Amino acid sequence: MSINQYLQQLSKAPINNNGQEPEQPAPQTAPAPPVVPAETPSVAGDEAKKRIVDTITQLGQTNVPQLESNIYCLSIIGQVEGHIQLPPQNKTTKYEHLIPQLVAAEQNSKIEGVLVILNTVGGDVEAGLAIAEMVASISKPVVTLVLGGGHSIGVPIAVAGSYSFIAETATMTIHPIRLTGLVIGVPQTFEYLDKMQDRVVNFIARHSKITEEQFKDLMLRTGELTRDIGTNVIGADAVKYGLIDEVGGLGKALNKLNELIEQRRGEKVLQ
Amino acid sequence: MIFYSIMPQEIVFANFDQMNNRELREISMGAVTMLVEPTGPFEGQIVRLISPNPQDYLNPQLSPGQKISFHPSVTE
Repeated sequence: MSINQYLQQLSKAPINNNGQEPEQPAPQTAPAPPVVPAETPSVAGDEAKKRIVDTITQLGQTNVPQLESNIYCLSIIGQVEGHIQLPPQNKTTKYEHLIPQLVAAEQNSKIEGVLVILNTVGGDVEAGLAIAEMVASISKPVVTLVLGGGHSIGVPIAVAGSYSFIAETATMTIHPIRLTGLVIGVPQTFEYLDKMQDRVVNFIARHSKITEEQFKDLMLRTGELTRDIGTNVIGADAVKYGLIDEVGGLGKALNKLNELIEQRRGEKVLQ
Repeated sequence: MIFYSIMPQEIVFANFDQMNNRELREISMGAVTMLVEPTGPFEGQIVRLISPNPQDYLNPQLSPGQKISFHPSVTE
């Protein structure tokens, strides 16, 4: 599909799928009327369209984070990219871009809460844990929402916030850390991997209601995944195990975030 | 690096050895330094931002992927 066809579809279809008003209208789309009348080809409309095309080609999406909002939305998609740049067929979230943004979100007084949206297949352990620790140590309320998937190293990021949500159909794959395709020959290597795995397991146990034992049990379970050991937990199951706080979507997540922001404002007034 | 993902390593790292090394230029604009991939004589695409001011990272105009044009200037 060409970009022009995509744009036409964009102007026809409503942006959100819930039938509700979009929470944050994208700054690029706002000035342009959805359908530009053919007889008055306005310069402003063309300009806006060009900007949308630019945004799509540059970021692969039509909207970018808005500064005026009091919440900061962070999306973690595709592979979490760390020290090694992945080949271009991967869609990646680069941690060196996210970390200063989280610093800015913490420091900026206009930002009162952070919404983290996850749809990731995993990635670099170091980078993933770095993001998770940053999210966990923000003093402002953070609500995480797992949409689609929050697999592997996405699990610690998903549990790092003040409150976590998972969409009903979203899944999280919990499996051991190992070097795929390589034979582990020496005991030291295995111990090293085991230590890395403990870092992840400890973090998850500390930041969610699941116990270390139960998480390891899910991680090492056989007969659930076809090509691997581990478990695939879907929506309500993740809540049942105590990994995630609640099943819900965007509306619930934003409501909870606003509630936490109000609560924090109240605490500030008391002080 | 330890890779922890549900995606098979063969798929993620396919074409890894064919990745062309992009030529990046370091450009300073005010207090902001950035790595830019040149797309023309005086224009390029921001690859990474280097700034001590965290608020610069929230500026959409400086986000990675944005196109910028730059001209050399002499500072005293």
